[in-house]
Amino acid sequence: MLASRATVHANHDLTRWVMISVLALVTLLPPPASAGGVPGPQAAVNSAPARHTLITTSRYTLPAILLVRDDDKTVSLPEEVNDGRPVVLNFVFTTCSSICPVMSQVFAQFQQKLGAASEQVHLMSISVDPEEDTPARLREYARKFHAGPGWQHYTGTLEASLAAQRAFNVWRGDKMSHSPVTLLRRAPDQPWVRIDGFVTPDELLQTYRGLSGPSGGETLATR
Amino acid sequence: MNAWRVAATKLLLLAMLATAAHGGTPSAASVGESIYLRGILSSGAPLEGTREAGTTAHAADAACVNCHQRSGLGSREGNLSTPPITGDYLFHEHTHGPAEPVLPYVESMRHREPYTDATLARAIREGVDPTGRQLSYLMPRFTIGDSDMAALIEYLKKLAVHRVPGVTDSVLHFATVFTPDADPAKREGVRTVLEQFFAEKNKFPFGPSPRMWTSDKTAYSKSMYMAKRRWQLHEWQLTGPASSWRAQLDKLLTEEPVFAVLSGVGGSNWAPVHEFCEEQALPCLFPNVEVPVVADRDFYSVYFSKGVLLEAQLIGQSIVGSDHQVAPRLVQQIYRAGDSGEPAAAALAKQLEQHGISVRSESLPPGPAGRGLAAALRAAARSDVIVLWLRPGEIAALGPAPRGSQIVYVSGLMGGLESTPLPAAWRPQTHLAYPFDLPDRRGVRLDYPLGWFKFRHIPVLAQQAQADTYLACSLIADVLNNHMADSASRAYLIEQLQGMLERRIMTGYYPHLALAINQRFASKGGYIAHFSDVPGDRLVADSAWLTP
Repeated sequence: MLASRATVHANHDLTRWVMISVLALVTLLPPPASAGGVPGPQAAVNSAPARHTLITTSRYTLPAILLVRDDDKTVSLPEEVNDGRPVVLNFVFTTCSSICPVMSQVFAQFQQKLGAASEQVHLMSISVDPEEDTPARLREYARKFHAGPGWQHYTGTLEASLAAQRAFNVWRGDKMSHSPVTLLRRAPDQPWVRIDGFVTPDELLQTYRGLSGPSGGETLATR
Repeated sequence: MNAWRVAATKLLLLAMLATAAHGGTPSAASVGESIYLRGILSSGAPLEGTREAGTTAHAADAACVNCHQRSGLGSREGNLSTPPITGDYLFHEHTHGPAEPVLPYVESMRHREPYTDATLARAIREGVDPTGRQLSYLMPRFTIGDSDMAALIEYLKKLAVHRVPGVTDSVLHFATVFTPDADPAKREGVRTVLEQFFAEKNKFPFGPSPRMWTSDKTAYSKSMYMAKRRWQLHEWQLTGPASSWRAQLDKLLTEEPVFAVLSGVGGSNWAPVHEFCEEQALPCLFPNVEVPVVADRDFYSVYFSKGVLLEAQLIGQSIVGSDHQVAPRLVQQIYRAGDSGEPAAAALAKQLEQHGISVRSESLPPGPAGRGLAAALRAAARSDVIVLWLRPGEIAALGPAPRGSQIVYVSGLMGGLESTPLPAAWRPQTHLAYPFDLPDRRGVRLDYPLGWFKFRHIPVLAQQAQADTYLACSLIADVLNNHMADSASRAYLIEQLQGMLERRIMTGYYPHLALAINQRFASKGGYIAHFSDVPGDRLVADSAWLTP
């Protein structure tokens, strides 16, 4: 099991991404069992079949962009993020059939595990396909995952979605290249905790509780 | 003997009863397909899969197609790679010699031990590969009984890439379809672009390249093969009533098997062609139609936009969400029966009525331009909003200006886009639905196709349709040359198009194109615009790009 903890800054983005690319690769099948054989054409991808997460902390500067919430209201990204509650945030799109359903299910189970406190935590899912994902489609998607009142989905213009993705360093050229990232923050003056890779509901809860504890975002844990 | 007969009769009766109870016994092939595509087991129960840490997948969300795609050739999403799971890849045995059967190259293919039926069933149920190693976290561990498992494995074996109709060693056959109600100028313009594009594509034909081997001794059959085939165009001109088109299309496909239908021109009814393509599992790529078919479950038909149905959404959003001084209460639509405005008017009426706005839709009788129009306009005098689904000849002859407080919307697609001959008296109150980027914003994206037409002396008879046709051809050439390698699979063509489209910079009339699994309309938005005060055809957007 791989767990890593690091504090990185914006100028280390490239290095961090290279690390993540190597560590967080998830594949369906393992590398060839070629005893003494030459690696296969996908050797680099095949080398990491298991699930890994990489947890880092970072401070992001959020642009003053407007998004459209799933209740059709136009809202400001910084204001939504700074609404007084701890935030757990991810990026999805409703026609994504592999990565996003897993991430959304993790959010749903995380919200369930929060129980009565679920409304005290702001879950935010921002669409990386805003032209397709109208507020009505987002509502339908939220219903499918039994999203509680504390979990909102966001769309907006293509430019606004891109700006949000760039601000959180999740933009990888197009929506098909997106990868699983979950971001948490206890309060506006705290750094963001970033989980690259597929986090489980229990890990997310554990990370959130570490975030909410007396020592804040410095005591983090992965599985 | 009698006892045997009685037993046999009982068995037969039981079988018949069981069949009746289930509405017919599904074949193994249909069970496998149902599990793979829809996540439904033979019992009708949903397929269930679980992942590490308790996340689950259920029914359609658990279906194999979500990650492995309809072709079975897998996918890449971000840094995640989903391998091909058609029989030929799963059971492929590496002999590392000239006798090794060749597999078309796909990006996410693996080099590993071959599966057997037993190890594949174990992989699907327990998530381990032939050597016992864990599969990916994303791959659920499925609960599937023995007979359903056998049906699924049988389906995977049949998904193997076979010889595809319309693909020979040296030629890729395409059809283009023209319906009899297609606008003649548009048809001629599109046909000329297609013929020129195909001629240039074939200017430097390549022969099949020899079988290639990589350093790790995996055989790739005739690598880059799709790029090296000559393209042949078959022009399918349909005739007679729409009810006869299906039989004509079936006959044409039998006589001239094609890999895909590319571009083409339709009138107000494209549904028979769309349905034919879906039933034949034949890609039908970017036809020039005003009324595409919107059906959630379809796969093989891909359009640039929803045409007049998108215009109806744009107009609806503008009416409902407008900051008009007085909220519109009565909307009057005018369209000609049988023309593209009819389904658009129906869609808009449904949308507005959901918001409590009354809609009256006046259907002009089929016939010459102008027939019944004056009376319909008189009847519209009491409405707050007039929506016109009319052709240029009728727009030009609208007559006296509407009442000062009335707001008018016109279909840009039907009226002639920026060339819509709107009488000057109507301009101040009229808004145009415009499902493209505005003329003064798309310049650079159109420079190349327009230059291409100019230098080849291609007459511009229907600029938007011709530019879309050029764009369609160049997109498909890009997919075939750069994303398909030697995988001649119709479904894979659609999947690769879905994956690559968003990265295109040259998108012609559209500011942005994108697709994904379960998306069939590449451009999602448009403008509501009006003509500027200055005489001429300059359009000014009422608001930002709308994606209703």
